[in-house]
Amino acid sequence: MAKTYDCLFKLLLIGDSGVGKTSILFRFSEDAFNISFISTIGIDFKIRTIDLDGKKVKLQIWDTAGQERFRTITTAYYRGSMGIMLVYDVTNEKSFENIKNWIRNIEENASADVEKMILGNKCDLDDKRQVSKERGEQLAIDYQIKFVETSAKDSLNVEYAFYTLARDIKAKMEKKQEASNPPGARSGAHVLRASDQQRKPPSWLSRCSLL
Amino acid sequence: MDDDLPTDFQVIVVGTGMVESIVAAACSRIHKNVLHLDSSDHYGGLWASYNFDGLQKFIKEVNSDPEKQVQVYNLREQWYIEKESPSEEEKGEAKEDGKTEPSKKIWSQASFAAEYRKFNIDMTPKLLFSRGPLVELLISSNIARYAEFRCVTRVLTWLDDHLVPVPCSRADVFATEAVGIVEKRMLMKMLTSIVAYNEEEMNNEFKDWNDKTFKEYLTHKGLTPNLIHYVLFAIAGGTDAMPCLEGVRECKKFLMSLGRYGNTPFLWPMYGSGELPQCFCRLCAVFGGVYCLNRPIDSVETKTVEEGKTKVVIESKSKTLNCEHLVIGINECPKDLVSPEPAETCDISKAVFITNGTIMKSEKEPLTLLRFPPLVEGGGAVTVLEVGPATGSCPKGLFVVYFITNKVSDAETDLRPYADKIFDLSGGDQTEETDKPKCLWSLFYNVKDTSGAAGSAAAGVHVCSGPDAGLDFDRAVEQAEQIFKKICPGEEFLPRAPDPEEIVFEDDVTHGPEFQREDEDADGDAKE
Repeated sequence: MAKTYDCLFKLLLIGDSGVGKTSILFRFSEDAFNISFISTIGIDFKIRTIDLDGKKVKLQIWDTAGQERFRTITTAYYRGSMGIMLVYDVTNEKSFENIKNWIRNIEENASADVEKMILGNKCDLDDKRQVSKERGEQLAIDYQIKFVETSAKDSLNVEYAFYTLARDIKAKMEKKQEASNPPGARSGAHVLRASDQQRKPPSWLSRCSLL
Repeated sequence: MDDDLPTDFQVIVVGTGMVESIVAAACSRIHKNVLHLDSSDHYGGLWASYNFDGLQKFIKEVNSDPEKQVQVYNLREQWYIEKESPSEEEKGEAKEDGKTEPSKKIWSQASFAAEYRKFNIDMTPKLLFSRGPLVELLISSNIARYAEFRCVTRVLTWLDDHLVPVPCSRADVFATEAVGIVEKRMLMKMLTSIVAYNEEEMNNEFKDWNDKTFKEYLTHKGLTPNLIHYVLFAIAGGTDAMPCLEGVRECKKFLMSLGRYGNTPFLWPMYGSGELPQCFCRLCAVFGGVYCLNRPIDSVETKTVEEGKTKVVIESKSKTLNCEHLVIGINECPKDLVSPEPAETCDISKAVFITNGTIMKSEKEPLTLLRFPPLVEGGGAVTVLEVGPATGSCPKGLFVVYFITNKVSDAETDLRPYADKIFDLSGGDQTEETDKPKCLWSLFYNVKDTSGAAGSAAAGVHVCSGPDAGLDFDRAVEQAEQIFKKICPGEEFLPRAPDPEEIVFEDDVTHGPEFQREDEDADGDAKE
């Protein structure tokens, strides 16, 4: 099977329940907004391949599967992630304050050089706003992370956010590859697939002409 | 924060060990309403992996809490290196490819602490047979997408006071100079009959060997002492007393898993065995399972609601939780609910070592299974697993080595003689060129073997056993499936979860996602 992309980035969405992580994911991957889903049943990750400076970049974006609800995200969720979208809800002060806790969680579990970006979602709901844009910007400056306000509902800045994060990851990767040649320290690890089954039979069973 | 935790579920699972997590995933997958709790703040229970900081906390916790020492006891941690590094700019990073070490890094307790996150140390390290039940389950359920694995690169044994590689594949057997051509024929013939062994229709080859040892069989087959050693100790993982048919079964398992992924029949999970329960938890959550850690339970009560129907009532942090079925890890379970009293089993002696090099040099970073024959009269065989930085287990320049055996006296007495054979346990200058790698840190501990007990005294309560001493996860998978079948008779055990590409959402519908399978191609890569 021919590869239809040049590189694959694993991205994560992190943030409190109800801030709109799944909506952002759907806006970006399906260009759809469905107000009806409140929790995240059945949604594991979504895929969209984008074009970045002539390269096909496959983005595999993982949702929390609701495990953020009682702060029970598995450490396995963070493995191999290259970029993380930290999402809060501009109409929910608590979700904004919790961004600091989520950053601590990331520092504890994700790779040290993971790219991060903060999203203040639901910026269409201006009349219910509790967190000003300036406070979001200040938080981002404090942590030296990029920031943008988004609206999954109005499709505002969602594309921009993912493209920005992907571009930053790509730039970091290229810089790293220049420094040391081996592409990715994790090469050589297996993902088990059904298709592996068709590989050679147990070698003891195969006939040996010597015997 | 826990206040909005719902109270009524079809299935409540307490404990996030391997068996509990598989059952949770299986129930949630067929749309049972599942709540999954754990009394501690991390996943895995006794099956967990810890970073170095987490491990220190775990040791402290156990040593200060007599109640915890029912499961884990005789903990003994030891450092072989200084608290602080001697001087600053003497270290010199370990080279990426490991070829040349102009100046070996000098490790200190402080440098371990500084890199604590790079460690993933397993409490229950286990391997997967490439064609074993767990690999097949991970693939058929599509849970394999949450994990990555590395192949074990070599199998070693201890022969004539040396480490020796065991020829694993047919090619290895023919390439090795240690075995003559006549022996090779004999070995191949014998292994072929082992592969043909079938328990149901006991074939002629083994029908008279029921009450004899595997060693007698191998001797009878005319194998030379070296070959007997390879087959009995390294391939079957046995001892002189191993019954013949058990040896045959173990060998067959080994042989059947060859040739799938690498040169040996084994896989090791990236970042450690503790990742695997979490993969099942993820699937459970994806299908709606609710997760809550740090949530001990205070009491369990069962009530008969109507004829043949029970309700299980759980008190947890002054909240009442109700369910039809409670699945509970034996370590979290009130004693009166376990029945019959677990039989006196042989506990497990374990040790973890962190060293500054591999036990036997090789071109690429090795991932090693070493099987020691018993070195003392009456002792058991010892299984050793050595994993390196490429598995995500430790920082560059180090190796983590696990020892497992059945307990005879205590972990340290049981295992130190074996460690002495392959490590330099004397401390001292780390840059010194030695035959054996220097041990920098070690931990000995005993674990209660609860794998035999799994009975429950009450309807609606299903008790899961703890980790066993075995090399693989086969018993955990088997037990999880049995429990699932009791809770959901007639239902499929972990049917394949769809790939994200296969889930089609209709616009503007209010009901949940519908699953639609497009084609049988399991590999989503080529689909865009």
